[in-house]
Amino acid sequence: MKKYVERLWNGLIKENPVLVLMLGMCPALAVSTQAANGIGMGLSTLAVLVLSNLVISLLRKVIPDQVRLPAYIVIVASLVTVTELLIKAYLPDLYKNLGIYIPLIVVNCIILGRAEAYANKHTPLLSVMDGIGMGLGFTVALTLAGALRELLGTGKIFGAQILPEGFGMTIFIQPPGAFLIFALIIAIMNAIGIKTRQRKLVESGCDGNCALCATASSCETKPAEKAAKAEKAEKAEIKAETKEAKPAEEGGAAK
Amino acid sequence: MKSLIMIIIAGALINNVVLNQFLGICSFLGVSKQMKASISLGGAVIFVITIASAVASLLYDFVLKPLGMDFMKTIIFILVIAALVQIVEMFLKKKSPAVYKSLGIYLPLITTNCAVLGVALTNVQEGYNFAQCVASGFGTAVGYTIAIVLLAGIRSRINEKDLPAPLRGAPIVMIAAALMSIAFMGFGGLQL
Amino acid sequence: MNGVLNLSSSPHIRDRWTTPYIMRMVVLSLLPATVVGIIVHGWQAFGIIALAIVSAVAAEWVFDKVCHKPSTIWDGSAVVTGLLLALSLGPKTPLYIPVIGSVFAIVVCKGCFGGLGKNFINPALAARCFLLISFANAMTIKPSLDAVASATPVGALKAFEQVDITKMFLGTADGVIGSSILALLIGGLLLWSLDIIHGQICFSVLIGFTLLIGLFGGEGFNPRFLLAHLCGGGVVMGAFFMATDYVTSPVSRLGQFIYGCLIGVLGGVFRLWGNTADSFSYAIIIGNVCTPLIDTYIVQKPLAYRKIGKTRRVKREPFRIPKPVIALTIIAVIAGLALSGVFFVTKDTIEEQARLEAAAAYTSVIPGTKSLKNAEETADLLGNDGIDQGNAHINACYVGKDGDGKVLGYALSITVKGFGGNIIIALGLTPEGEVVDIAFTEISETAGLGMKAQEPEFKGQFPGKSGTLTLVKGAASADNEISAISGASVTSNAVTDAVNAGLEFFRTALKGGN
Repeated sequence: MKKYVERLWNGLIKENPVLVLMLGMCPALAVSTQAANGIGMGLSTLAVLVLSNLVISLLRKVIPDQVRLPAYIVIVASLVTVTELLIKAYLPDLYKNLGIYIPLIVVNCIILGRAEAYANKHTPLLSVMDGIGMGLGFTVALTLAGALRELLGTGKIFGAQILPEGFGMTIFIQPPGAFLIFALIIAIMNAIGIKTRQRKLVESGCDGNCALCATASSCETKPAEKAAKAEKAEKAEIKAETKEAKPAEEGGAAK
Repeated sequence: MKSLIMIIIAGALINNVVLNQFLGICSFLGVSKQMKASISLGGAVIFVITIASAVASLLYDFVLKPLGMDFMKTIIFILVIAALVQIVEMFLKKKSPAVYKSLGIYLPLITTNCAVLGVALTNVQEGYNFAQCVASGFGTAVGYTIAIVLLAGIRSRINEKDLPAPLRGAPIVMIAAALMSIAFMGFGGLQL
Repeated sequence: MNGVLNLSSSPHIRDRWTTPYIMRMVVLSLLPATVVGIIVHGWQAFGIIALAIVSAVAAEWVFDKVCHKPSTIWDGSAVVTGLLLALSLGPKTPLYIPVIGSVFAIVVCKGCFGGLGKNFINPALAARCFLLISFANAMTIKPSLDAVASATPVGALKAFEQVDITKMFLGTADGVIGSSILALLIGGLLLWSLDIIHGQICFSVLIGFTLLIGLFGGEGFNPRFLLAHLCGGGVVMGAFFMATDYVTSPVSRLGQFIYGCLIGVLGGVFRLWGNTADSFSYAIIIGNVCTPLIDTYIVQKPLAYRKIGKTRRVKREPFRIPKPVIALTIIAVIAGLALSGVFFVTKDTIEEQARLEAAAAYTSVIPGTKSLKNAEETADLLGNDGIDQGNAHINACYVGKDGDGKVLGYALSITVKGFGGNIIIALGLTPEGEVVDIAFTEISETAGLGMKAQEPEFKGQFPGKSGTLTLVKGAASADNEISAISGASVTSNAVTDAVNAGLEFFRTALKGGN
């Protein structure tokens, strides 16, 4: 159970696709002119992402390795067209707002990125959770940026007038504003990240010199070590999964 | 002829694909770290987008529209783009391995470059004829190249050590892009 | 490194000069223009200048503190930025504008990149453009001295009216605070004589601009005409004080010349054919953006800079259709079939939606319509694709009848090219050819500017109009005048053109023609 929840947390905060992994910038910048658009685009992408992760994870043993990228693209393109048709038919207002950006979900780096980095290596259920987590992270990032841009640009959030009438720095609902707001959000996240790392360093009494440290092997604060440990854990997890799926095969000794 | 030139200028400067339409951002932010890679990528993009626009236009006008299969355009376009990128990749590998290496992963990523698909779809939306599609594709790609090369120049001047810590990496590039975007808004509404 | 000039990537060997010295000279050279500006425009101007400078210095002090850096406010660069920004603002600008502008200039354009010498864009100008985009209305120069139709000399020039060059020279015409050409020239030439600014830049800017205006401006090289253009719109200020900034201009002589010409030419292009409130500022910051590129390529290469490499022949592989391609094709076919399925399921609903939406627009512009049909009189003329009329394209013409069959009016669908793409309006006309109302079936203009066309303030001007409409800036005085949306002249023009086209079509095709 825990690992499923971990996927949600990962996509939302730790590896937020837009703010940390820097994927899916195109739609993020373009669509975040209003908070409402952020939610619309975010949830549409979430839907496609979950479905695509599911399908690709189910087919991961079937798709030949050399053509996996084009194959993913075809699958994602179909899913997106289906979504587009459904939205066009049953949610015409949303379609008007999102317009050309729905077909562009196809080339949304998040979907292909997650397909390549996660879905083709993990079980369907985990992939679905990853999709939900990433989709939620995307939605949150877009909605936050959209709210900020709408607030500074028109004084409203979700159409409700917050700041006095007549207030509006129009630049924020235009392209330069998008870049500025995202720069701001990412900078704040960086600042928080730096402070957190510094705090952890101070609390644990670590001076950064791993070679002379007795507890280096179980160290939590050094990022390089942590990444290596995480990678080892993930490899072991994948091995365990493949062992479950193919009980007849022998597993190699963990290195 | 004049209107074709207008389409090219509009695509390149007035509605710059990256700074105005937000297409192609991922590679824009990623490749602009190095000038040489940026120029090479720009060249590859011009080739791919111009030909892709041409092919897509023909396919749409003579196959998809008459058969009423408008909804298939996304898939068909992207398959065309993937094929073209493969061709460029093979060509570069044989003819100019140095350029191929410097582009690295960004070459296959042209397939997923929103700008390529975006231009093909916009052409359909605007109802351009064949010549206009090619002009539009070419103009867009030139605009992309201009943007990425200019940003590469700016980034070559930025020394990470001078920056406040939270701004290092992505944020300063976004701020630079914001300022470029403000500058390019000077082309807004230009009517020659 | 106390007070020594600190520039990036430049091989200057002028270490006898300090940054504070240069900044002091620049302020000195701007003093004539400042003084004239205050005298002519009054205490408001003084307030703006003071606020801009104080905000700039304060912003830099706060930013340095937040970044834990030693305070740099004493090098005088913040003062110069604030002053330059203030001089480029109009005298009646609301006071929050210089504050926001100065903060943006110092924090975003300069501070974020590492401070003095590390920025790539002119802070004062970038801030000015930032303000122009953010506060389009508040930044428009309002007439305070001359009660003429166009508020600024540049506006007048664009409308081919006469301008008073003497006034512009002295700075007593309407315009920004620092618009006294005489004063600016005195300062500029002072800086040039002190070798603080490079002649290559300021003069190539002016020459490039003059050439372009002369060649394409429509009046040849008429000296009065050229002089008028040169004296307006921040050209002199830009050429001498903005484009010449060390940090944001190229290092090499040839590079500076190219940079100057680029700015001059672009400035001219924008002045003649552009649609933004201020053409020259954008030209200069575009030049700034190109500077790093110019510096990269217009540089003396070191000796023996040649890479020698051998090219090896790559062995050719035999060509086969890879098996994975077959798998890919199968996947594509399955995907295609699935898509077709969904398409046919949703096809009717989508078509119905589109029809309902269009119908809704047409019935909204002819209130009381019970039945809407294609107008027979014009069906042949329009055919399937419609016809061009004036600057617009008439797509379709419908006749709306009430429950008893009486003709209530006509609804025309008209497409016109806007700022951000096509605008499609539904125009409702009475049987006599008077506008009932307009509705937008498709519009994707700039939010906050062109999109305001949908608001009653603009849209509501059309009902009741007939004949041929003309667009005016400011309030409409005559019956056939439409007041444009400030900051959105392209959109306003487009909509007016569309309505005019519809009215003209009615006169020729519906009422008269057949």
